[in-house]
Formats: sequence, C-alpha cells, structure tokens
Amino acid sequence: MTREKPILSRIPSPVQRYGLALLSVAIALGMGLFLLQHDVQGVEFPIFLIAIALTAWYAGVGPSIVALVLAALAFNYYFTEPYYSFYMTRVDIPYYSVFILFALLITWFAAVRRRAERNLMESRDELQRQLAVGKQQASLLDITHDSILVRDTEGVITYWNHGAEELYGWTAEQAIGKNTQELMRTVFPAPFEQIQAELFRNGRWEGELTKRKADERPVTVSSRWSLQRDDNQNPLAILQSENDITERKRREEEIRGLNQQLGKRSTELEGVNKELEAFAYSVSHDLRAPLRHMVGYTELLQKNSASMLDDKGRRYTVMVLEAAKRMGTLIDDLLAFSRISRAETRETMVSLEQLVREVQSEVWQETEGRNVTWKIGALPDLYGDRSMIKLAMVNLISNAVKFTRTRSEPEIEIGCVEKRKDGVVVFVRDNGVGFDMKYVNKLFGVFQRLHRTEEFEGTGIGLATVQRIIHRHGGNVWAEGQVGAGATFYLSLPKP
Amino acid sequence: MATIGRILLVEDDPKDVELTMTALEEYNLSNEVVVASDGEEALDYLYYRGKFQRRSGENPAVLLLDLKLPKVDGLEVLKTIKSDAKLNMIPVVVLTSSREERDMVSSYRLGVNAYVVKPVDFHEFVNAIKELGVFWAIINEPPPGSVKKK
Repeated sequence: MTREKPILSRIPSPVQRYGLALLSVAIALGMGLFLLQHDVQGVEFPIFLIAIALTAWYAGVGPSIVALVLAALAFNYYFTEPYYSFYMTRVDIPYYSVFILFALLITWFAAVRRRAERNLMESRDELQRQLAVGKQQASLLDITHDSILVRDTEGVITYWNHGAEELYGWTAEQAIGKNTQELMRTVFPAPFEQIQAELFRNGRWEGELTKRKADERPVTVSSRWSLQRDDNQNPLAILQSENDITERKRREEEIRGLNQQLGKRSTELEGVNKELEAFAYSVSHDLRAPLRHMVGYTELLQKNSASMLDDKGRRYTVMVLEAAKRMGTLIDDLLAFSRISRAETRETMVSLEQLVREVQSEVWQETEGRNVTWKIGALPDLYGDRSMIKLAMVNLISNAVKFTRTRSEPEIEIGCVEKRKDGVVVFVRDNGVGFDMKYVNKLFGVFQRLHRTEEFEGTGIGLATVQRIIHRHGGNVWAEGQVGAGATFYLSLPKP
Repeated sequence: MATIGRILLVEDDPKDVELTMTALEEYNLSNEVVVASDGEEALDYLYYRGKFQRRSGENPAVLLLDLKLPKVDGLEVLKTIKSDAKLNMIPVVVLTSSREERDMVSSYRLGVNAYVVKPVDFHEFVNAIKELGVFWAIINEPPPGSVKKK
C-alpha cells in the first residue's frame, strides 16, 4: 500500500532547513529593498513575518529562530533609521519587541500545528493499516468454499460471503437485511429455542440443517455457529459457517438402504438354509424308514414264503431288494452332498501326501487282486478342511480305481502339476475307460453319469461332491479325458 | 438260560416295531419287550402313568429309543430320563434312521449309552437288533431296580 505524501511535509535535511531560513530572509529583504526603491513603505515588516512563518512551517523551530534573528538584523540595518547601520534607538525597542513576539508566536503555532498534524497522520496511517487487514480478512472470508453468513440475534443477515451466494443462490445484496429463517425456510433438527439456548450457553452450536435454495431446491448443510458477544457479554452476532452435505447424505441413505437390503437378503438366505436343513433332516429320517421296511418285508418274504414263490417271484423279490438298496445309497450320497454346503469348514494345514496314503489304504479292498500301479509324486501341504479334502480325494481316487477295472495293467498317477504363487494344482490321472470330452460339462453335475449302471455302479454324486468341496475352498476343478484312453482330474486350491 | 432284562422299545412306526420284534424273536428276546408308540407313552411307562399306572414296579433293563416321535420326541425323553435321579441309571440306546451329526452330538451330550443307526439292509438290521438285545438284555448287568427274569 502506498502511503500518501502529506502536503505539508517537513524538509528533512538540516542544511536545507537552515538554507531555507537564509533564503526566505534574503528574498524578503530583496523584496523589501525593491519595494523601497519604488517608494512603497511599511510592507517590509509583514514580508519578514511571512518569511519567518514559512521557515517555521517548513523548516521547524531552529531555522525559524535563525530567520528571526537575521530578519531583525536586516530590518534594523536597512529599514530603520539610521539606515545602513545596526544602531538601534530607544523608540525602536517596543517595535522590535512586537516583531520578535509576533515571530515567536508564529513559530510556536507552526510547531503545535505540526505536532497535531503528525499525530493525525499517524492515526490515519494506523486506521488505514487496520482497514487493510480488515479488508484482507473480509476478502479471505469471501473467497472460502464454505458458505459463511453473519446474522444478528434477531436473525437478520449482516454478512453474506461468496460461498453463501454459490450455495444458496442469493447475492449478498439480496440476502443482507433479510431474516435467515424466513429467507431459507430452515428446518432445524430440534426446536429452535433449544438450539438458541445451547448457543448462548456454550457460545457455539453445530448440527445439520435443511434449507431451501433460491431456486426452491432443498439442501442439507452441516452448520457450525459461533456466538460473538459485546463487552458486557451480551450476544451480539452469530457467525454461521456451512457446507453442503446433501450428496453425502444421499449416499449415506443409499448405503443404509443397500445394507438393509443385504440384511433382508441374508435373513432370507438364512431362512432358506434352515429350510434346506430341515428338508435334509426330514429326508434323512423319513425317507430311509420306508426303504428299510421294503427291504425288511421283502427279505422276510424270501425267508418265510420262498416255497410259495416260483422262480419269477423270487427274481422279483431280488429286484425289489436291489432297487431299495440303490435308493438307500442314493439318499446317503445326497445327504452327504448337501452336508458339504451346510457344514462349517474347519481349516487347518493338511499334508496331502499323508492324506493320499490314507485314502490309498481305504480303497485297498477294491484294488485287491488287481495289479494297480500307483505313481505318487511329491504332494504339497494344503490349507483347508481335512475331512472335506479327504472326501474329495476319496471320490477321485476310488473313481480312478473303478474306471480302470477293465484294464489289465491299471495305472493311477497322483501328483502336483505346478506350484503357483496363488495356489496349487493337483491331479489324479488314470488309464481307465476315460470319457468323451463332449460331455465334460456334465461330468460335475449332480446325478450326471456318463456310464450305464451295469457297466460301472455309482450314483452320480461323487464328482459333484468333489466340485462343491473345492469350490467351498475357493478352488476349481476340471477334467481331461478320451474314450478308452483314461482321464485326468485337476483341482486347484488357492493359497490361504 | 440266562436272565433276560425287560426291553422298553419306544417306536412310533408299527412296521419298525414288527421288524424289530421279528429280529428279537429269532433270539427269543421278544417276550420281555414293552412297546411305547410315542415319547409320552414312554414317559408314562417310566412314571407309572396312564395305561401303565398299574404295571409292576421296576425299571426296564434297557430303553431302545427312536428319535423322531410324535408328541414328545426322543431327545426330550432322553433328557427327562437322564435328569431324573430315579431313572438316570437306565441304559438308553438311541435307535434311529438318521445319520445326522447333530442328533448324535445332542444324544451323547444328554448322556446316551449307545447310538445306533438302523441299517437299511435287513440282515444288518437284524444283526444290530440281535446284538443290542443280547448285549443289553442278557450280557449287561443292569443297574439295581431293573426287571430281569430268570
């Protein structure tokens, strides 16, 4: 900020100030002599006074005393009798006294005036400085993103920043002087009196308000109020700083809605799961009983009434028994399958190598008398539910055993394809009857079978069980095969 | 001839009752079998209530208990028996169609003495019943206060 140069500034350099004293007296003397030459008399006195006054004004007290002395001497020498002599008559003394008195008076006035002026200047400068700071603060307040408004205790708006204009749509000119609540139709989260009481008690309040913009659209703001008090602690004004949280509120609402939906879904799912469990439970209890009765009574028939049956009748009873037993196996498999989804997994580190050895000894009976060649490679440790993974391996390995039954030199290979960063891929390969890749997508479906029951027994649940177990562990299963040339089943398990 | 303990068979399905009885008959164990067709009747028998008000005053040597029963189910019967000081010594064998793990866990938690899943195969079923009957009614020495006939 440039400071205005005062019109009556004092000459700073002492040489110039005393020079001014000499110069002004010299000019006054010259003018006096000049006027004397033209017979104008009696003006030299005021001319000298003017010279002294000017010196006092511009050069200060010191130079004005010098000017006074010089003027007195010059006056004495040139303008009082005897002329051109410093001789002073008695008559001249009052005359000189008045002159000196007058000159001193002027000097004194000039000094007082100057001091007053200097004080004035200083306070004006201070005022200007304060004004500048205030202006800067006001403009900072104005450019902030938050909307800021000031209102008096009656609610009348006294300040309205640019942010407020942007948010609400009224300009400062339109808003100032209006009542905030009426202008924006504020909806408070609590009775206004209560909020006002809190503000007066704590000096601040914050909360969420809903208002209407100039274009009538509603807006939700987070509002912070600060109370300004006067020297007697009486409430004076309230500064409200606000920012738009409409979008945030909307998103929160959306998230809440989604969460609610999710909650509902999971409750539904829980219900379905419970139903499924009840269903499985009922199947487990109720479906098996009639089967047992069928088998029981048929066997009693065979045993007690065999003599009354002819060959055909005896064959029929055998068929009934076979069918019932098959259904029993189906129910058991189906229940085991559904249990995989219902049961909770208990995950631990599982040594696949040990697990495969266990499974091998379990299928030993089926391989007895057959010349099965086992090729078991290095197998990794896995993280998962041991009993489930074992069930999967039992299914895969007994499948391999089953489908190599027709081979004279059956070969079963179990190994680990690759150790990847994100998990392992294990395979079970056999040189059995294989399958047509055309049907590969049917392989893992429930009750899907690619062989007739007379050829290879089974319920069609084994591979579905394997798939479900591996899926529950976050892995994948797939198969490759060729009719008459064996099959390979792969399973991938992710690293924990 | 060894002494035969009284068997209380709690079974709602008459076919199951018949088949069980048939199995027991083969080993001459059926004479001392009392059948209760639901949980309430079983408790009536044990507490001398209803139609068993006037029965002879001793506890059975063993209880063969089905789980899925009308009115009062098997687990409730088991719970009542095992929490009554006068009855909790009676050996209880759960004989059920279900292989549900939670039934088994609940039963053992309530203090069942044995848990048998009825096999679908009749031979196995007969064998199981026979072995149960022979073990609990003949071999096992029942707790004091049980009916055991010479």
